Amino acid sequence: MVKKKWKELLIQALRLYTLLVTLITVLMIILGNLLDRDRVFGYDAFLSPLIYALIGTVATVITRSGKELSVRNLIIRKAVSLLLIEGAIILIALNADTIPTDKSWVVPGLALGVLAVFVLTHIILYFIDRKEAEKLNAELARYQEKQMSGSSVG
Amino acid sequence: MKLEIRKIPENEPEMVEIRYHWITDEIQEIVSFVKSRQGQLSATRDGQRFEVPVMDLFYAESVDERVFLYTASDSYEIRMKLYELEDLLKSKSFLRISKSMIVNLMKISSVRPALNGRFSAVLKNGEEMIISRKYVPELKRILKGSES
Repeated sequence: MVKKKWKELLIQALRLYTLLVTLITVLMIILGNLLDRDRVFGYDAFLSPLIYALIGTVATVITRSGKELSVRNLIIRKAVSLLLIEGAIILIALNADTIPTDKSWVVPGLALGVLAVFVLTHIILYFIDRKEAEKLNAELARYQEKQMSGSSVG
Repeated sequence: MKLEIRKIPENEPEMVEIRYHWITDEIQEIVSFVKSRQGQLSATRDGQRFEVPVMDLFYAESVDERVFLYTASDSYEIRMKLYELEDLLKSKSFLRISKSMIVNLMKISSVRPALNGRFSAVLKNGEEMIISRKYVPELKRILKGSES
């Protein structure tokens, strides 16, 4: 049971991480083109989305709890995790030579970008869950039909 | 309490007989158990005792260490722990969906996504309840069993 729980957790974390890497890469392409078009990077730049996505994934630990969280509690924890991600990314940006934080639009642009990735991630995960719910509903209908007709299940 | 189990000829009906001096909690629990095996649960509402058909149950919920049964329109209190009820009703399409709730799968009209990887179950009477992430794999496992 515990092994199953950790496996489930790992799958979810990997799913989130992959999604974040993709969205952050897209965000970097958009922000880079808009704010700092002429900059040239080395191969190290490929590491950035991986690191930022790791920060984003680790920050979701806050939204987990052994207890059953109410919707209100969950929203508060989500907001805290967003603030943590924003703080961590901006802190990294301010200390990185490759990100021109001296330009006035870079930090707000980055903060907005992080928010956009956060919102987009939740929208995409919602659609994945909706697809899963559709599958569950089809299986539920089959289960109920089978139980009604009296045949044994499971 | 003395326990007697006796093999009887096939032409005689099987029965459970309880001989008592007073109806104690223990006796009541045994009666509840036997009735639940027959598709009924002994529960109370406003101090009155009712036999609630299991198939009419929508869900059972534990609140402050008391367990309540809910049908489409009524609620009853049952003198059982939620985990005991869960064990009893496992074979009757009931499933634990959160720490304090078990639901009748036959009374779910649909499942939809809720926040943070959780799902919510919309019941046939319109009520909606959260299925904790912890119990989603078990729900999937049971429903998948009906695919073949």
